[in-house]
Amino acid sequence: MLISAAIEHLSAASTEGVLLTMAAVAMLLCAFACLGSKLFDRYVTYYGLQSIVLSFAAAVVALHEHEAGLWVLAALTFLVKGIGIPYGTRHFLIERFALKRDVALSTGLSSSLILGAFLTAFAFLVIRAGTVPDALVSQATVPISTAIILLGALCMVVRRHTIAQLIGWLIIENGVFLGAITIVATFPFIVEAGVFLDLVAAVLIMIAFVSGLARQLAEASAPQLRQLSE
Amino acid sequence: MIALALIIVALPLVPALAAALTGRARTLGLISAAAGTSALALAIALAIDLSTGHPVHALSGFIYLDPLSGFFLATIALVVALSSFGSAAYLRAEEERGELSSLQVRLYFIFFALFASMMLGSFETGNLGLLWVLIEASTLASCVLVGLEAKAVSLEAAWKYIIISSFGVTMALVGTLFLYYAAGNLTGSPTEHLTWSFLFAHAGALQHQSLRLAFLLVLIGYGTKVGLAPMHTWLPDAHSEAPSPASAMLSAALLNTGMYAIIRFQALTKPALGAGYASHALLIFGFASVLVGALFIVLRGNFKRMFAYSSIEQMGIIAIALGFGGTLGFYGALLQILTHAIGKAVLFLTSGDIVLRYRTRLIDEVRGVLTIAPLTGAVLLLAAVAVGGSPPFGLFLSEFTIVRAGLQRSSVVLVAALLLLIAIVFIALVGAASDMALGAAPARPTGGPAYTERSSRILAAAPLLAGLAVLLLLGLWIPNGLNTLIMHSIHAISG
Repeated sequence: MLISAAIEHLSAASTEGVLLTMAAVAMLLCAFACLGSKLFDRYVTYYGLQSIVLSFAAAVVALHEHEAGLWVLAALTFLVKGIGIPYGTRHFLIERFALKRDVALSTGLSSSLILGAFLTAFAFLVIRAGTVPDALVSQATVPISTAIILLGALCMVVRRHTIAQLIGWLIIENGVFLGAITIVATFPFIVEAGVFLDLVAAVLIMIAFVSGLARQLAEASAPQLRQLSE
Repeated sequence: MIALALIIVALPLVPALAAALTGRARTLGLISAAAGTSALALAIALAIDLSTGHPVHALSGFIYLDPLSGFFLATIALVVALSSFGSAAYLRAEEERGELSSLQVRLYFIFFALFASMMLGSFETGNLGLLWVLIEASTLASCVLVGLEAKAVSLEAAWKYIIISSFGVTMALVGTLFLYYAAGNLTGSPTEHLTWSFLFAHAGALQHQSLRLAFLLVLIGYGTKVGLAPMHTWLPDAHSEAPSPASAMLSAALLNTGMYAIIRFQALTKPALGAGYASHALLIFGFASVLVGALFIVLRGNFKRMFAYSSIEQMGIIAIALGFGGTLGFYGALLQILTHAIGKAVLFLTSGDIVLRYRTRLIDEVRGVLTIAPLTGAVLLLAAVAVGGSPPFGLFLSEFTIVRAGLQRSSVVLVAALLLLIAIVFIALVGAASDMALGAAPARPTGGPAYTERSSRILAAAPLLAGLAVLLLLGLWIPNGLNTLIMHSIHAISG
């Protein structure tokens, strides 16, 4: 394998580098958009959009690396995360139970956005400290993917509805995936495929649980889940 | 040997296939018990083979077995065997009472099978990425068991469990990525950079900064599965809401699977970062867990929750033992993993019999188990004493070893604090168990006998008696084979 071909050494100024950085920024914006919304429909739309951008980023890396496995992953990301999961969530949960907006916000929209901005700054401060070498594309994408992970976690915390928690976790997963393809594109395919399979299984089980909860509680909101507090 | 290893993973899946054909708990339970027992026999045979110390690998490290894998395989296979007997009896009783539909019975056996198989599989892979995939898959399978009863409260527990563990395990994936990144400068193929044996051989050359981050993320990630405080919050809910044989699997098998992953990563950090780095982190999380376990176990509410807090405390003790390190520390940790697994499996299976009998999970509503069901009452008392860490049972020996390791390698203050907390847990656990076992039986026995048929009674009693017998044996004498296996396991992770 040519050393210069490895994504770990891809410079930020190359065409692929610019495309990847832009994709990462678009994904960060999607995460913010999700955080700044309280309509379930929007959560799902922004998540789908973010996944489509992610599949584009994966395709850029695949083109660069000439890896068949990465092409498959890009296609799977597009089909499953970009279309399948948003469609499934909308069809089986939001429309079926006529869920509209998240009423159980623990902080206001603006304060959660400010918190999100702080977390993004924090991610840049922490990762810049020398984990990733200078002038590489990963220097931009790794802090951004860390920020996306933190924003997803923030979504899970401040939006209390189970659907919001589900989408928050999926955003975290997207952040991890972005970091993975830009620092270590050569992750063995079989492992990536296994990770993907687990994700799909997890989403299916979560949808089943949320619909079970929605049937029993009318509003499947996490604050209602307090029988087991101790 | 590879074929044997694959059969061990495949055997627990047989009941899942059978569940496609029938939804009767009676048939499925017997198949499950038979599959569990044969997997146990094969796992012990494999562990004996592996105890010579020579690792076996195939498929470029995707299959990798060393003595440590053998030790965990045998331990978890034992738990699976005990719980599958328990499941056979418990599910039959629930089916007869009309508490579970045929679909729920099928789902139970399918996901119990997947759960067992994924956990056993995770000990047989040397690829840390695949290890992550299998551990996450076992979480998913087990959360279906937690939510099986589909009541609001069990769905709540299952939701908490899946969302907290998925988040935690995702952190472990990030940690695994950073480890892979840390190996970037090494020669070798990408697959080798995720293979434990390759990384262990080159552990000294891993990049320090990334490795530090990797270990902490992995400790938090897999620590969520182990139930280390403060990531333990899913654990009491899931353990109390799952059907009791599934609680036994969660507590005695799943937590140890997480611990296995942590042990593997700990071994990788030592050459580059020194023993202290991982040790300190493990000691901090370990003490936090023992403290949380001891504080919450004194709340006398739900007895399954109480046993769950005892699991948190026990996992904390194991983490502390790993933190002490050295041959004694690792020996104590591994022995504690084995003895706690058996003790806790017995305790949760007993709790299943009590739930069936009294139809409650509250300590204060259960009195006089010894009078109503002498065997269950006696096992409850003895198992509580055993898990509390009293002689002549195995846990005394392992905790004693851990204390010795602490005195040898750490400070007296830490050891004294640990002993104090262990004493609190012992008093709370045995106190509650004796209140439940003794005392006047309620005037109206709420649920009728737990099991109506003789065969169910035998199925339910067999794992309790077998487990207690093994615990007693391990308290009096460590068989030579087990000793060799543990010593070679320690050698495998300390080079």
